[in-house]
Amino acid sequence: MITNEVAVSLLRICLILVLISAACLLSTRNLSSLVRTYALQSLILVAIALLIGVLEQKSILIFIAILTLASKVIGIPWFIRIIQQRIRIQQDLHFHYLQPASALMVSILLILLVYLCFLQVLHDLFTRNSLFFLGSVIGVSLMLMGLIAIFSRQLAITKVIGYLSMENGVLLFGLFVTELPFITEFVIMVDLIILVLLTTILTVGMDSSIDAYMNRLKEFHLWSEEEVNA
Amino acid sequence: MSITPVLAGLLNLGVVLLISPFYMTVVKKVKARAQRREGPPLLQGYYTIAKLFRKEVVYSDYASFISRIAPYATLAILLVAALLVPVIWIPEITVAEGNIIVFLYLLAFTRFLLALLGLDAGSTFGGMGSSREMSLSAVIEPTTVVVFAAMAYVAGTLAIPEMFRHATTIIPGMSPTILLLSVSLFILIIVETGRIPVDNPETHLELTMIHEGMLLDTSGRNLALFELSHAVKQTLLMTLLINMLIPFGIVQEVSVLGLALATVLFLLKGTALSIVIGIVESSFAKMRFFRVPNLFMMAFFFSVLTIFSEVML
Repeated sequence: MITNEVAVSLLRICLILVLISAACLLSTRNLSSLVRTYALQSLILVAIALLIGVLEQKSILIFIAILTLASKVIGIPWFIRIIQQRIRIQQDLHFHYLQPASALMVSILLILLVYLCFLQVLHDLFTRNSLFFLGSVIGVSLMLMGLIAIFSRQLAITKVIGYLSMENGVLLFGLFVTELPFITEFVIMVDLIILVLLTTILTVGMDSSIDAYMNRLKEFHLWSEEEVNA
Repeated sequence: MSITPVLAGLLNLGVVLLISPFYMTVVKKVKARAQRREGPPLLQGYYTIAKLFRKEVVYSDYASFISRIAPYATLAILLVAALLVPVIWIPEITVAEGNIIVFLYLLAFTRFLLALLGLDAGSTFGGMGSSREMSLSAVIEPTTVVVFAAMAYVAGTLAIPEMFRHATTIIPGMSPTILLLSVSLFILIIVETGRIPVDNPETHLELTMIHEGMLLDTSGRNLALFELSHAVKQTLLMTLLINMLIPFGIVQEVSVLGLALATVLFLLKGTALSIVIGIVESSFAKMRFFRVPNLFMMAFFFSVLTIFSEVML
């Protein structure tokens, strides 16, 4: 079995890799590499869950790792890739509000903000175990970076990847701040929301922006004019 | 006055000057293989420089003294910079007074000379090259400063030999901050040596060239000196990355065997890095000029992250 020190340093490397993948999600334009990056990010989360499982000897983390592996590393990317082949869309070149460069700047500021806030709130955790503190900071930062991805991207499919990355952030936070039962439930709930989002968007069209999607919904009488006005 | 620093300095210069053209050729070879071409022989870099040294120098009618001194000055400045970066041997007493900030400014000085040279011959291509180089460097410089600052912060010192000494105490690949730093340094190598996502070193097409545009009017011996200084610059930046990330084999207690081993190891590590650079260069398309800042932003992000994680861990 691997020793504790090795596990801790591997965990640190994994955390840094998570942030690198988040930065790639913000700035990549090619859709297939976006999906690949997301799968890789989830794989790193699996590794993190396994490492914490080894460190703390909790079997539930192993289950979470298996669940994540099955759903996020294999399932969802595979699903998106199939759809992508059908709709023949390869790039998302449209950004509003923030270009990738400024999005990275903003995310630096967000990480700093989260760090400063958590230093106040989770002071005990910081003094007890700085690694877990770092993990929770990076988890919340990942969530916020997913949020940036959602509002700076235009196409529906990249927005979905933003949601998924946010959910990864929640999972990471849950892994490190160990209140598992509740958080797990939360994760599953967010997962369901994403599932709904995925299926609706996938069925009606991923190649469109949100506005075009709304129009198409109206076209098919799935969304009445009164509801929009109300 | 001890003889050691002088010896170490001379050895350093010798290694850097001898190895540099080889690494340039390795990158070219890898790119050629990626395009299913045979590529140049591995010693082509030396042949080219030797051939250029024998050729006649032609100056433009408008050229001033800048064209005459810039080749020598550039190489001289880079050799001074080479004294600051120990390649295979970290001696007890430092070779040259100076630190990473001096190193940074020496590099910036060569860029300034090159831009002047581009303007000096009075051709439009040179002027365009200089203009592009300067507008890019205005964006690169802050990133470079932050990357070097992160490096200094991680190692806790500004002196480059001390940084390498610090790196030898870390197990390779086990420190997240060093890994992050390596990513930024790698991007820095790509940008500073004008490699593909930023500039194409092989093009002479008027629309795309930056570095080549400035050298378009140099010939003969002067061109050889510029080729050599470009290679030396690349080797110096590569040394920073290699000796921070995988410093094993670098000599601290001097012995002939150790030095020989360190040289061979450095040759291997450098070749491996050149192959990686070649592969990266073959797998990317050149970026549009206004998209290049994104690349620097990545390096900037990673180096800020380096400082963060060093603070947090």
